[in-house]
Amino acid sequence: MRRFLYIVREAWANMRINRTTTIVAILTTAFTLACVGIFLLLYVNLRHAAGWLQEDVKIMVYLDDGVSTPLRQALEQQLKVDRMVAEVVFISKEQALKEFRAQFPADSHLLEGLGENPLPASFVVTLAPNYRSPESMQGWADRVQTMEGVAKVDYNQEWINVLTELIGYIELVAIGVGLLLSAASVTIIGNTIRLALFTRREEIEILRSIGATRTFIRIPYFIEGAALGAFGSALSLGILKIGFELFRQQMQLTGRFSGIESMLSFFPLSLCLALIMAGMGLGLAGSVVSLLRVGEGRT
Amino acid sequence: MDAIIQLIHVSKCYDRRPALSDVTLEIEKGEFVLLMGPSGAGKSTLLRMLIGEEQPDEGQIFVHGRNVTKLKPSEVPYLRRKIGTVFQDFRLLSKKSVFDNVALPLVVQGVSERDIRRKVTEALRAVGVDHKKDQPPNSLSAGEQQRVCIARAIVNGPVVLLADEPTGNLDPERTGEIIELFKLINARGTTVIVATHDPQIVKQIHRRAVTLVDGVLTQERRSTERIET
Repeated sequence: MRRFLYIVREAWANMRINRTTTIVAILTTAFTLACVGIFLLLYVNLRHAAGWLQEDVKIMVYLDDGVSTPLRQALEQQLKVDRMVAEVVFISKEQALKEFRAQFPADSHLLEGLGENPLPASFVVTLAPNYRSPESMQGWADRVQTMEGVAKVDYNQEWINVLTELIGYIELVAIGVGLLLSAASVTIIGNTIRLALFTRREEIEILRSIGATRTFIRIPYFIEGAALGAFGSALSLGILKIGFELFRQQMQLTGRFSGIESMLSFFPLSLCLALIMAGMGLGLAGSVVSLLRVGEGRT
Repeated sequence: MDAIIQLIHVSKCYDRRPALSDVTLEIEKGEFVLLMGPSGAGKSTLLRMLIGEEQPDEGQIFVHGRNVTKLKPSEVPYLRRKIGTVFQDFRLLSKKSVFDNVALPLVVQGVSERDIRRKVTEALRAVGVDHKKDQPPNSLSAGEQQRVCIARAIVNGPVVLLADEPTGNLDPERTGEIIELFKLINARGTTVIVATHDPQIVKQIHRRAVTLVDGVLTQERRSTERIET
């Protein structure tokens, strides 16, 4: 028990003795990790949006103008029994016109001059969750396109693909920036540990002379590094959360992106915990690097 | 009697300057040995080799049946737990109390809380500073600090006690007290080796004395004192 208390007390003492360095290390780590966090937050929200859009993608199956009722019914039946299809809704020509007028009241006069209703009848198809990948959608659309009575199959896959590509780039940038700034965190924490080792070199010498093992000497410094990383990471999450809420509030106030702010989300609790653990890992890495470089523990 | 320390043709150089040259020495269990010689004679180098802090360039060193020159780095701490070390500059932790300083060797070994309390109290009583256990070492006199250092060295019942110039910072009266303390520890069965350059100590203690000059073992005086146990 005394051994455990000794180790924890030593780690705490290290941080207290070099208070300024400890605070600087935590703050620098926090701001460094916050920079990585911004990319991560952007990435998480874009992925969330892409997933949400993907969920919401509807495939429009437009029918030929002259398609007979029995053929339309047969087609509807065929679509409904398809295992890739979750939902089929029929929109008649009249309904389509009505919806157009409701959605675009200012432009409804455009259709007046045409006399006959130019809008085609259609099926609005939602694919089952397992078949919403771009490849599945494309395959399904190609297959339906060849069916009798089908004029055109249409869906907004293109800009979802653009979004996916964008997410891919952000992911790359986040990884690059993350690696670079993580290395910076490791160096900062490593230097703090080196300073602690220097300050307490006499004590380390005494511990060695009385038979302390390398592990016993090193553990307080590992704990210190991990604690610095965890505190820095927790602080970075605090900074990000404040920044995120201010950004969301600003969007609400300007009103230009109405509705979007409610779709934005902060990291879930599990990811917050994972980030704190990652911070601990970086701190621990800093300690290891520092202890190896200083060569502490050689007999 | 059994040899507890054996140095066989040990040599060590620092930057081509010999610190120890072909030293062969055998110390028996329970002996009190004075390691004499001027500064830079190689006394500290020899003591550092006994605790595995330095390795000889040539020769073999055996301590308590273990070949120190063949020990793996991970085995060295366990050797040091059998050897108590006393330094000229005391090397006490100023931020810890006298009790915590003396408890340190037991803490690193994971000794139970109850045993730590018992052993530390016994060690402090043996050196006569048990009434100062809660004080920081800095508030103690030099003689008292050296007693605390000795208490820390004997707290886990070492087989060998090494003291490197233990009276270097003390006045003659305190020096006499510390030497008496070493004799007492030796009388309880611990092998004691005291390295010193002070000729007065050799005159006061009529025990075995070996002299090093420029790393060479030059003289040896056998014990003439009647040892009471």
